[in-house]
Amino acid sequence: MAQRPGTLGVDRVTLRLAVLGVLIVAAFVGLFSRLWFLQVLASEQYEELARENRVRTVQSEPPRGQILDRNGTALVRNRLSLAVTIDRQVVQGRALTSKVLRRLEKILEVPARLMRIRLNDATVSPYKPVVVATDITIEQANAIRERQNRFPGVTVQKVPLRTYPFGPMAAVTLGYVGEISDENLKSEHFKGAKPPYAPGDIVGKAGIEYFYDRLLRGTPQLDRMIVNSAGDVVETHPVRDENPGDDLYLSLDAGIQKVAEEALAAGLAAARSEFNAPAAAAVVMDPTNGEVLALASNPTYDPEMLADGISFKEFDSLGGRTPDDPDDDALLNRAIQAQRAPGSTFKVVTAGAALGHDIIDPYVRLECPGSAVYPPEGGPGSVLFRNWTSTYFGFIDLPTSLEISCDTFYYELGWRMEEAWGPYNEGDRSERFQKYMRMAGFGHETGIDLPNEADGVVPDVAWCKRNEDLGYCPEGWLPGYTVNMAIGQGALVVTPIQMAVTYSAIANGGTVWEPRLALKLVRNDEDEEEVVREFRARSAARLPLDPTEIAMIREGLERVVSGSEGTARGAFAGFPLDLYPIAGKTGTAERGETGLNDSWFVSYGPSDDPRYVVSVYVEEAGHGGETAAPIARQIWEGIFGLDKVTLVRLGQDFSG
Amino acid sequence: MAFDGVFEAVDRIGGEPISARMARKAPIRHLDPTLLLTTLMLSAFGALMVLSATASQQEAAGLDPGTYFKRQLAYMAAGALLLLFVSFFDYRHFRGFAPFIYAATVIALIVVLTPLGDVQSGARRWIDFGAFQAQPSELAKIAVIVTVAAWLAERKTEVNAVDVAICGGLVAVPAVLIYLEPDLGTMIVFAALLGALLLVGGAKLRHFLALGAVGVVLVATVLQAGLLEDYQLKRITAFLDPNPDVQSVGYNLAQSEIAIGSGGITGKGLQGEKTQTTLDFVPEQHTDFIFTAVGEQLGFVGSAVLLVLFAFLIWRALRIANLSRDLFGTLVAAGIGTLWAFQLFVNVGMTMGIMPITGIPLPFVSFGGSSLLTNYLAVGLLLNIHMRRFL
Repeated sequence: MAQRPGTLGVDRVTLRLAVLGVLIVAAFVGLFSRLWFLQVLASEQYEELARENRVRTVQSEPPRGQILDRNGTALVRNRLSLAVTIDRQVVQGRALTSKVLRRLEKILEVPARLMRIRLNDATVSPYKPVVVATDITIEQANAIRERQNRFPGVTVQKVPLRTYPFGPMAAVTLGYVGEISDENLKSEHFKGAKPPYAPGDIVGKAGIEYFYDRLLRGTPQLDRMIVNSAGDVVETHPVRDENPGDDLYLSLDAGIQKVAEEALAAGLAAARSEFNAPAAAAVVMDPTNGEVLALASNPTYDPEMLADGISFKEFDSLGGRTPDDPDDDALLNRAIQAQRAPGSTFKVVTAGAALGHDIIDPYVRLECPGSAVYPPEGGPGSVLFRNWTSTYFGFIDLPTSLEISCDTFYYELGWRMEEAWGPYNEGDRSERFQKYMRMAGFGHETGIDLPNEADGVVPDVAWCKRNEDLGYCPEGWLPGYTVNMAIGQGALVVTPIQMAVTYSAIANGGTVWEPRLALKLVRNDEDEEEVVREFRARSAARLPLDPTEIAMIREGLERVVSGSEGTARGAFAGFPLDLYPIAGKTGTAERGETGLNDSWFVSYGPSDDPRYVVSVYVEEAGHGGETAAPIARQIWEGIFGLDKVTLVRLGQDFSG
Repeated sequence: MAFDGVFEAVDRIGGEPISARMARKAPIRHLDPTLLLTTLMLSAFGALMVLSATASQQEAAGLDPGTYFKRQLAYMAAGALLLLFVSFFDYRHFRGFAPFIYAATVIALIVVLTPLGDVQSGARRWIDFGAFQAQPSELAKIAVIVTVAAWLAERKTEVNAVDVAICGGLVAVPAVLIYLEPDLGTMIVFAALLGALLLVGGAKLRHFLALGAVGVVLVATVLQAGLLEDYQLKRITAFLDPNPDVQSVGYNLAQSEIAIGSGGITGKGLQGEKTQTTLDFVPEQHTDFIFTAVGEQLGFVGSAVLLVLFAFLIWRALRIANLSRDLFGTLVAAGIGTLWAFQLFVNVGMTMGIMPITGIPLPFVSFGGSSLLTNYLAVGLLLNIHMRRFL
């Protein structure tokens, strides 16, 4: 150690330098450990962050496939619309946003407030320009383009929009499109698709558009872009080319659909002179193959106003005016979602169950009194069940029971089935009536290719237990429930499509179809059409009825329309039944204690060689023969091309 | 040959010929090649990183991608001249000149604050000489080291409270002037220098305790009086916040950590494309955040090499402090070592999120003439002390 002149404690200075050295070494240890953490331990995570920093994936909007009817008539197609988009990576900050929106407001005459709602939509990817206005005029587009510097981040571009040549026709069945929501992205329906769905995608939100979205969507062009910190694109790598979606042909027949909707509208208008009649639905189905030819629901909406996916206010107006009461909800597809008691239309099911399991033989004659007491021996707890009329009809056969819609006949069947198969029997003998109902298509979705189909309810002991809390079956299962169910009342509820399915089975000799709307998928490749997929209805079950049994039911249904006592006779007065024989059944379903009736008419024709099943249901509109049957008649006239322009007249029907 | 014996007798001290002794002690024979080599390697490393951090942006702007690189090389050349010049004179002269150096520095710092000072990014830190801008606060670091070292060397490690107060005052004047620029980071460097010089110069534990107390009171007063600008507070607290506002204050830090972390063990390479560096995600990358370019492009290996080079440099400084023949040299060398170590720690620490964000450059590596020249000047001083340790 060199002697430092002028120092007293040489070693003390060295010691002090050592202290400094230790501090510095500590600093180095700190730096190295942090460096080790960042670059060795946590490196992968930071690499991911760096990648997110610079890579942006941008998708085009591929044209969706068209939706056509069975004859190739387009029901939903695409058109190009001039739209204004705003790039949120450019338009940032309150001041700039307000300025740009105010300038746009002046040109577009769209309230800045609405554009701002759209702009603030957090579900849209920030890297995707936000559409704030569609269908602008060329003049408006030019006004923006000419002063582009006053509109930073604003672009006018053509975007494909859905258009509906028939307007509101079949709207609830076809559905509409909109931007995919967070819930959509998480749902099974959109998971596992190739390519995967991404935020900002335009997808089907309801109906066919939703159900077959994967077939209709096409594959968007995908570009991966590298951006710098300023958000400028440094380079673009095309990842995938654009493929338009395939065209989907439906089994719907535009002509029949139109007739069905017009008949519903006319029928409702006529019924409103006497009844509340808020809503109605109709199903037309081919009983030979399960194809659905028309699916109508009223009220409905104009899908055109949802086409651009930005008309929130209008969308709100579609929901129920009274939030707790879905009656006026225009977005409901009542053909598959209305769940109501079927009333007397259900008697074919009761008869089928009794025949199929030999509770009665086809030639049985039962008494049709004005009322009956069950249990027949009376006593405490016995209940008086009334026919819809007090007239005594004597002993009648099965076809007559349907023709005049004798309730007491079916009470007796219900009672016998309750005795034979009551829920307290063991195993196979228990609840056979309910098992038959499920086989005939009730209590579960029919399986039609539409989302959110309603199950309906087939009441049984298990159902009672499940719904105890709601106040159902306070005394457990009672035999009276079965008796009531036999005429389509009580807790039993069904959908119009379920009725169409079960009448198809009667019409076709026993096949219960899983109805189908999709017919085929067609790919347009350079003007060459190629069928890439065909759809067929599957048979869900076969009714355990022999031809004689079915023939007896069918005879009864024919007499409902053409018999002298038939409950739909009035509704079909003047209809050329000799040329086009129709068979069907009216239904008047009581809605609890309200005194309001739902009106049903389910029919098939021509009755000697059934090609169509027409199921009509009108809410709170009186008897089946009064409102539903005349609507069905107008649909039949349309189907057979009868050159008739008579409006729906209310018919005469006082049956139950 | 005949006179040899005569002269030899006269010339001999302790059995060694005076000429030989003179030659042996000649400063030129006591260069510190390790220090020189380390300095050269570090600044070359730095120039390369400056090139890498600026080339793509320059190119994108249609400018010469090598602009910053060339300027940094020019600063290095100027620095080398300065180094030679400084090592030429015996450093002990500086001791006498200390009052003048100090006065000149204070005047320069005042000039910066006048309208003569050049404002950039809201701070008056530069004096514009037309062709170049000088940042007196950089040079002030050396001036303060020399001045305080000169004072403490007089006390011969017998430091009392008055000396501590005087040294504190000597540091405080330029520190306050720099605070007014404002340049909080450099001011904190001054505090570290004061601590290190007092430590080596012989201050007692109680002096440090007293200084610490004064520091706490000062900080509390500054905070209480709201003398800190909002952004300064935010920058200081941003690194403590686990979820900082990444769009504003936390942005630098987040991007900087991403750059370093994503470098991994071996880095993305100097030619690496589409990196945080080339896409310009890290603000101020060629100056204060130059370490992020090192971390991202050269990875842990490159960063470690850089840190080891710094370790060498600082080790040489402390070694020279220990070898110095007088306390003044020891103090100056220790001060310079501390200056580098502290700047390294604060700068690299801030890019990795363990120190607050302050505008302190990374010695030899960050782009900037004033900083580079100051550091070359410091190396010159170290060499000077090393070369003359036997005279």
